[in-house]
Amino acid sequence: MTPAFIPRPSQEQILRYTGGRLGIAAVPGAGKTHILSALAAKIIQEGRLGDGQELLIVTLVNSAVDNFETRIKYFFDNPIQVLYKYRVRTLHGLAHDIVREKPSKVGLEERFSIIDEREAGFIRRESVNAWLANHSLDDYLDPTLETSKRDWVKRGQLPDMVDSLALAFIRSAKDRLLTPEKLRAKLDASFSPLPLAELGWSIYADYQRALAYRGAVDFDDLIRLALTLLESDEEFLARLQYRYPYILEDEAQDSSQTQERILSLLSGGSLPSPLGRGVGGEVGNWVRVGDPNQAIFETFTTASPELLRAFIRENPSVDMPESGRSQPAVIALANHLIDWVMNAHPIPEARTALSIPYIQPVPEGYQPVNPPDAPEAVKFISTRYTPDQELEAVTKSVKHYVDGLAETPIEAQPTIAILVPRNQRGVEVVNELRARGIEPIELISSTSETRAAAGSLSHLLAYLADPGSARKLSKAYEVWRRDWREQGVVNGEEEDTKGDSELLKKVSDLLRRMTNVETFIAPHQAEDWLSALGESEAEHVIVELSKFRVNVQRWLNAVTLPIDQLILTLAQDVFSNTSDLALSHKLALVLRKAADDHADWRLPELTAELVVIAKNERRFIGFADDDSGFDPERHRGRVVVTTMHKAKGMEWDRVYLMSVNNYDFPSNMSNDRFISEKWFIRSGLNLEAEALAQLNALESNSEYDGYEEGTATLSARLDYVKERLRLFYVGMTRAKKDLIVTWNSGRQGDATPSLAMSELMGWWEK
Amino acid sequence: MFDPSPLQRQIIESPLDSRLFVSGVAGTGKTTTGVERVRFLLAQGIPADSILLLTPQRTLQEPYLDLLESPERQPGGEVTSATIGGLARRMCDLFWSYAAEQAGFKKPHQPPVFLTLETAQYFMAHLVRPLIEERGYFESVTINRNRLYSQVIDNLNKAAVVGFPHTEIGTRLDSAWFGDPAQRRVYADAQECASLFRQYCLDNNLLDFSLQLEIFTNILWQNEQVRSYLTGTYRHLVYDNVEEDVPRSHDLIREWLPDFDSALLLFDQAAGYRNFLGGDSASGWELSGWCDQVVEWNESFVSSENVINLSNQLVSAITNSELPPPAGETPAMEFILTHFHPEMLDDTMKKIAGLIEAGMPPAEIVVLAPYLSDSLRFSVANRLEAAGIPWRTNRPSRSLRDEPASKTLLTLSALAHPDWQAHPPKFDVAHALMVALDTDLVRAQLLTEIIYHPRDLRLSTFDEIKPETQERITYALGERYSILRNWLEDYRASEPLPLDFFLRKMFGEVISQPGYGFHINLDAVRVAASLVESVRKFRNAMEPIQWEGFDLGREYIAMLADGVIAAQYLESWRSEDKDAVLIAPAYTFLMMNRPASVQFWLDPGSEGWSQRVSQPLTQPFVLSRHWQPGRIWMDSDEVQVEIETLSRLVGGLLARCREKVFLALSDLGESGFEQRGALLRSFQKVLVNQENHE
Repeated sequence: MTPAFIPRPSQEQILRYTGGRLGIAAVPGAGKTHILSALAAKIIQEGRLGDGQELLIVTLVNSAVDNFETRIKYFFDNPIQVLYKYRVRTLHGLAHDIVREKPSKVGLEERFSIIDEREAGFIRRESVNAWLANHSLDDYLDPTLETSKRDWVKRGQLPDMVDSLALAFIRSAKDRLLTPEKLRAKLDASFSPLPLAELGWSIYADYQRALAYRGAVDFDDLIRLALTLLESDEEFLARLQYRYPYILEDEAQDSSQTQERILSLLSGGSLPSPLGRGVGGEVGNWVRVGDPNQAIFETFTTASPELLRAFIRENPSVDMPESGRSQPAVIALANHLIDWVMNAHPIPEARTALSIPYIQPVPEGYQPVNPPDAPEAVKFISTRYTPDQELEAVTKSVKHYVDGLAETPIEAQPTIAILVPRNQRGVEVVNELRARGIEPIELISSTSETRAAAGSLSHLLAYLADPGSARKLSKAYEVWRRDWREQGVVNGEEEDTKGDSELLKKVSDLLRRMTNVETFIAPHQAEDWLSALGESEAEHVIVELSKFRVNVQRWLNAVTLPIDQLILTLAQDVFSNTSDLALSHKLALVLRKAADDHADWRLPELTAELVVIAKNERRFIGFADDDSGFDPERHRGRVVVTTMHKAKGMEWDRVYLMSVNNYDFPSNMSNDRFISEKWFIRSGLNLEAEALAQLNALESNSEYDGYEEGTATLSARLDYVKERLRLFYVGMTRAKKDLIVTWNSGRQGDATPSLAMSELMGWWEK
Repeated sequence: MFDPSPLQRQIIESPLDSRLFVSGVAGTGKTTTGVERVRFLLAQGIPADSILLLTPQRTLQEPYLDLLESPERQPGGEVTSATIGGLARRMCDLFWSYAAEQAGFKKPHQPPVFLTLETAQYFMAHLVRPLIEERGYFESVTINRNRLYSQVIDNLNKAAVVGFPHTEIGTRLDSAWFGDPAQRRVYADAQECASLFRQYCLDNNLLDFSLQLEIFTNILWQNEQVRSYLTGTYRHLVYDNVEEDVPRSHDLIREWLPDFDSALLLFDQAAGYRNFLGGDSASGWELSGWCDQVVEWNESFVSSENVINLSNQLVSAITNSELPPPAGETPAMEFILTHFHPEMLDDTMKKIAGLIEAGMPPAEIVVLAPYLSDSLRFSVANRLEAAGIPWRTNRPSRSLRDEPASKTLLTLSALAHPDWQAHPPKFDVAHALMVALDTDLVRAQLLTEIIYHPRDLRLSTFDEIKPETQERITYALGERYSILRNWLEDYRASEPLPLDFFLRKMFGEVISQPGYGFHINLDAVRVAASLVESVRKFRNAMEPIQWEGFDLGREYIAMLADGVIAAQYLESWRSEDKDAVLIAPAYTFLMMNRPASVQFWLDPGSEGWSQRVSQPLTQPFVLSRHWQPGRIWMDSDEVQVEIETLSRLVGGLLARCREKVFLALSDLGESGFEQRGALLRSFQKVLVNQENHE
């Protein structure tokens, strides 16, 4: 349980908040969630909420929702005191709540469904392919390309590029509340030709039709429709404004314009609110906490840290500069990075990438206490490694370090992470670690629990799809007895569980070696595998097999049921744990929807879908408990491999930052290359940026504000440079004690250390 | 034996020339009185076929049918139990030539085709699909196609039951709308589709529900001959649940009332649950002015003091009024709280088992939810089954098309008709063989792998299989397969039959024979019969329309796969076992006219308890008779409707509850989301109220 909460001076200032707007700039590890929970509890305790009113907390990810719930409840003895007094939602969750109240007002039917990113990706890809089949992008290809190369590009490169362009375009259009219809009208009225906007529109329109056909919306639609509703229905808005007299927003640096508009409207904004406000008067009670220095984005987004910065400038604000996370040396480095970027970055336009406040250690007498100063624990490795050499050096170091922990009791072991700029690099690290005998933890967006449950079910379905396979039957048996196996792992020493795991092994071996499965499942007098086995095997083995057979027979009979009912039937037999059963129910609904959407899907396709969920390629919303995020503390002594983006919000004792070169962290110097500028596109244009600029031009009314080719490519470079500076900052500030930074010379061998790394390296040596 | 109260006796035994209007909330004994009145009329020697029993919906007739179908009944004529729709259909059929001419049908000399909901949907799809796909209709709405069609049909029905010209649908909806102007277009689209459909019906002698009703009320009822036929046939009226019926029905009865010898009208002023279907309690209440006597009942025979108190508290909480003090030591509500949803179902089952063990008859227990997904229905039913508790539900947890038996029949149909070009995947064939040949899946799949060639739909013979594999499959199964195969081959070689004929033939000649899967499998037989019935109705509707290249069987299967035809069970699905725990959506329970001792409310956090169904193309309140033309439908109207809906629902449920309601709540709902609807928030107020009084 959380220790008693004693606010630090800067936090106390926040707790004195009574109303109105407040912007808070926090540093990494400042305890934002904590202070927001305390503030929420205080507002509730003081009875500032009226009948039917709730405090609204908006946060970024599902896992944070749970975090808040636990922390707020901690402040109360009697749960009925806080029951329905507050609501924690992600922006999508909030938008869903809003739209859910009046779907038909925005053209949705009762049970509209929300497709996840993966399904959305499928649909978009189909639209992209259809577009490519009927149109050409030849005008944008590098004219010097040879014909054979040109064909190869068209087949192999364009689909991915157009896909990511379409994603950005659609997302941006939705952020501006532009439906395909409205966009069409603007295109028709445009004076200059905007071919990329035409392309974007065409795919957008097609994509949106496909969604409508399924009666579904995507995540961006949810937000768009929520905003549309709020802007068009004054009474409804007033009702919600009454319901949410206080809004606390976490991770506000990742807020997009639409998010800001939604929360601004809900918190009263400048609109008259007929029902009157709580304390705080007309501007509404809206507290935004965030760290603009940590605004990092893995995929295209319309979010920008400038929005929060502006909010902080224009409204009362407080800083939360104290952080108990890192040792002084790491703090000093991070602060120097801020300093250097703000004052000395060679590209003046990049100097806004980071901003103050600087990080300060926690003052004496307060919790938590920063780790002791240890300058020697920070290492910048200047060696010019090739990518492979870098892998080798880092994994060797990790191996050496982990081996040294063998004698340390688990609770005293440190937490360790290797952070990389991109997923692909992470995969390479994982493979290299395995080759050295270290089993790393690959950090993915949701927990292993979803994967385990979905994985188990997918094994059963895989068998049912191929019931004659002895191998799959044996696997199904292992799933059925998964409890035994798990116990075996946890307390393998105990006598009875040892007996169980031996039996499990025995039985699964027997099943795997069976030749004709039907002689076991549905024996006839002449051919009865089990009774023949009775002559050679011990009785408890036969008993176990008979028990299993009863289950399999039931499953095989259920195979013609609709998929949801089949899953529920299987789950009842193999799971006892309530969260597994709950997940199965959800999986049943998800697969049912999939089956309804794809009339031609049968067990193999549905199993494949489940495998995807099991592998977690798919974002699975809901189930806060299951989705409670990743807690590094639970993996002491293990090595976590993840991207710098995914590491946000986490901390480890020892952190490796890899590939900090000018390819992954360019600075807009003459020798820098940019991933978004494709070699096969003429003039090195960044087509995604150009398409967005064309969209922009459509929105502007002034003829002087028109589209000019190439400008967007250059400004996209700048945005990228800035994002990468923040990414580096985020990576560094994950470290509590040890920080090791390496770089490599890239695939072409010509990369250099990133400018920021060189700067810090030089400064550190001094 | 039923012992009526003096008040009830007065009504039951009132003179044979009395026209009475009894109003009272649920539980005051109205329906019981209605049933006894019918018994009394019959006992007085009134010919059964001169009695008209009218209800707004067939399920509401259940208590009456129990009497009318009971063995104690004297032989002779039958009481006519009808809904306005049923009556309309009968009259259109009977007086077709007159109706056809007056209504403007193109072929008045050919017989009419009455459409079911399914076949109406089919024709609507036929007309609207090209408009969507080729001309961009309905672009701004996100809706499943089939529900789009059904909402257009719904608009036509609303016009008919409320009594305004169907050409006004679009303008009525449009005039009440504000908001994103892009949405406005859909009403014009909806109007155009409705008009198109109506014209198509008139051109092809098709009568959907709306047209039947309009012809009946606007044309036939105005005709002297028809009217004297009806008034001559029916001399006594028992009209229950007047408050749930539609305005045109009320209009009709108002004009008809003076002609009846006797009439008993039963009205629940607190109900009115069917307004999304056009039900209108206000126009129902007006009928009281046309009766000789209006009686009001207040005393409940059902609910305990505690339940009544809970109901008062809860309704006050919902309507934002002051809550009355809680009463009694034993509260009439109890929470079942869990974190996850399935856990909540488990705990609910344990409670039910405990109640039954303590002697409560299963029929006195109902499990209600605002919305029952198939999965939820299946989960609850499964658990009851496992606990050995008898259960029943208003419909099965699978639509007809999802039933293994019908899937089997349809796969075999596809195999028998290669010219459909439907190439069932091996999976479907293996599953079909498993069911049809009554074998295990392993052998069925082994067999399918060898004998079925999806590309050319060829089925090779059992003899062509290698002996050792034959042995694995077993000769007995091989023989059953060979008979089926030969039968299919023979059929392929002969002139194809209409699909329902084919199904009957295959069923009778092969798969119902001993050794096959449909032999003495009553469930499968029931499913097969329903499927044949669905196909037959489809064929009846399609026969007069002669589309080129139309193949009934192929089209039926395609429409089934598309979901245009839902293939629900056509017969109202009445479970035989009456002494069983009922699982039903809350509104369905209200429409069954029965109380229960204990109610379990699943998912009280769901928004479904209070929110009206969201339908982008229609709007029940704006299309109702009471909507002031030109008014705009505002958010405050929405809130008002929600409050009214919820308080009516809660009042109605508790009026049908004798002892106690259990609230089964999980932190995370069925789909894993937190739920916090208006009902739950009202319960919270009741809890706080109780705490304050302690």
